[in-house]
Amino acid sequence: MANLSVNICGVELKNPVIAASGTFGFGREFNELYDIGQVGGVSTKGLTLEPRLGNPVPRIAESRGVILNAVGLQNPGVEHFIECDLEWLKNTGTCVIANVAGKTLDDYKNICAKLDGRVDMIELNISCPNVKSGGMAFGIKPESVEEVTRVAKSALTKTPLIVKLSPNVESIATNAKAAESGGADSISLINTLTGMAIDIERRRPIIANNTGGVSGAGVKPIAVRMVYEAAQAVKIPVIGMGGITRAEDAIEFLMAGATAVQVGTANFTDPYAMPKIIQGLNAWCDSRGVKNVSELTGTLQLNGK
Amino acid sequence: MKDYIATIVKNEKIAENIHAVTFDMGEEVAVRAGQFGNISVGGTHLLRRPIAICKVEGRLVTFCYQIKGEGTQKLKTMEAGTRLNVLMPLGNGFFVEENERKVALVGGGVGVFPLISVLREYGAQKEISAYIGYRNKGAVCGVEEFEKAKKFAGVTDDGSYGAKMNAVQAFEKDLKEGNRPDVVLACGPTPMLRALKTLVEKENLLCYVSLEERMGCGIGACLVCVCDTTNGAKARVCKDGPVFNANEVQL
Repeated sequence: MANLSVNICGVELKNPVIAASGTFGFGREFNELYDIGQVGGVSTKGLTLEPRLGNPVPRIAESRGVILNAVGLQNPGVEHFIECDLEWLKNTGTCVIANVAGKTLDDYKNICAKLDGRVDMIELNISCPNVKSGGMAFGIKPESVEEVTRVAKSALTKTPLIVKLSPNVESIATNAKAAESGGADSISLINTLTGMAIDIERRRPIIANNTGGVSGAGVKPIAVRMVYEAAQAVKIPVIGMGGITRAEDAIEFLMAGATAVQVGTANFTDPYAMPKIIQGLNAWCDSRGVKNVSELTGTLQLNGK
Repeated sequence: MKDYIATIVKNEKIAENIHAVTFDMGEEVAVRAGQFGNISVGGTHLLRRPIAICKVEGRLVTFCYQIKGEGTQKLKTMEAGTRLNVLMPLGNGFFVEENERKVALVGGGVGVFPLISVLREYGAQKEISAYIGYRNKGAVCGVEEFEKAKKFAGVTDDGSYGAKMNAVQAFEKDLKEGNRPDVVLACGPTPMLRALKTLVEKENLLCYVSLEERMGCGIGACLVCVCDTTNGAKARVCKDGPVFNANEVQL
C-alpha cells in the first residue's frame, strides 16, 4: 500500500482525488453508490449568496470525447448549504471544499466570510463561463484575478483559499501568478473551455445558453499543458483537472506539477470513476516502488533538457 | 441502483426507427414501472443514454429506443454477447395507489414504452385503458402488449392505423363516452403532454406525466436535466422524476 495522502496548504487529504465542482452536487447522490468518505475531497456545487435557478434547458450536449454544459450555477444558496448539507458532508470523512461564486467583489467577500472556519477549503469560482455577469468576468484579466483573490482572502482568517482559473485566457502563467500575488493559498485549473455544439437540422446551438463549458477526456492535453505552465509560475500548490478518466491521467497531472487532482466529467461516464482512480493510483505506485504519491508532483522532465 | 455489467441477448428493430435491446443483467433486478436505466455505449461517448425500462422478465431487461443521434446509432449495431454498463433502476417511476382502480394510459412516440411497463406491473390488478398515438402505421409497436389492456385505442396522425387522431383526442373521446379513470398516466412528446394537462385540469382528473430531458449524471447530482415546477422552483427529471404529478410541473 503506497501512502496516497497529500497536503495542500496545511490541509491533509487521504488521497489526491477530489470531486470537481458541479459534477457531484454535495455528495449525497454518489454516496448511494459508494462511501464518498474514501474520496480525498469534494468540491461542492458552486454556491452563491442567494439561491439561483440556473439556465434554461437543454443544459448539456455531447461531442466526441467531450461534453458541453451550461447549468448556470443552479444552487440553493450558501445558507441552505450550511444548514442542510455541510454537517452531513463533513461526517462522511471527506475533505469539504466549498466552491463559491459571486456577481460582485462584495459577493465574494460576504460568501467567504460566511464559510470561514466552517469548511476545509474554499475554492473561488472566477471562471464559470455560463453566467452572464461576474463569474468568468473576474477570471480573465490578471488584474481582476488578483483583486478578487485579495478581497476574498481579506474575509478569511481560518480557511485556506483555492482560486480556480479559467483556461479561456491569454496567459495561464500570468493569471496563476496574479492569484498567488492576491494571496491565494492554492490554485486549481482548468475550468471548462468555452465551446458550441450545433443541431444542424434546427440550425441552432443544442444548449439553450448557446455556448457551454467543454470538459471531458478530450481536453486533457490542453489541461496538462496549462497545469505545467501554471505550476512553473507559482510556488503555491496546484490542483489539476481536465479530462481525468483513469489513474494514469491523474499521474500525468501530478508529474506536470499538481499536488492533487479533480475528477468531473468522468463521474458521468462511470459513477465509480473516482474510487477506481484511487485504487489505480495505489496499484501504479506499488508496482513502480513509489512509496508516497506526493513524490510524483512536478517530476516531469522535458525532452531536450 | 447499481451499475450492472449487462450482456446483450437481443437487439432488433421493432418499428420504423425504433429498436429493442434486451440485456441479461446477471441477476434479478427489482424495477418499478416507469423507471429508467442509464446505458453506456462506450468509446468517445462520455454521456450515458437514459432510456426507459420497458420489460423485466427475471434477469432479462428490455429497453426500447429511438435512433436519434450517434449514441443510439452505435447501440443499434451492437450484437448479442456485447457487454455494456447499465446503471439502474433510476428515477421514481409510476405508482398506482390501492384505491385507484381504473387507470388510463396516454402515450405517444417513444413514450409508449414506459407505459408498457405499467401495464405489465398493474395489468392483473387494475382496469387499464390504453390510448396510444403513433405517427403512422410504420411506427406502430407494442400492440401485443397493449392488447392485454381492458381497452386499447391505437391511433395514428395520418389514419394509416386505427382512427386518425392523436392519443389525447382518443382519451378525450372515451372520457366523453363515460369511461372516466381514477388516474391518468402519460408519457410522450411535450405538445402531447401539454394538451393532456389542459384536458385533465378541465376534467379535474389526477394525472402523472413522465418527462424527458437531456441528462448528465442521471442520479440527481449535476442539475442538468431540470424542469420548472408550478411553484417557481426546479426539479430534477432524473431523480425527483421522471414521473411528476401533472399539476406540479410546467410543460
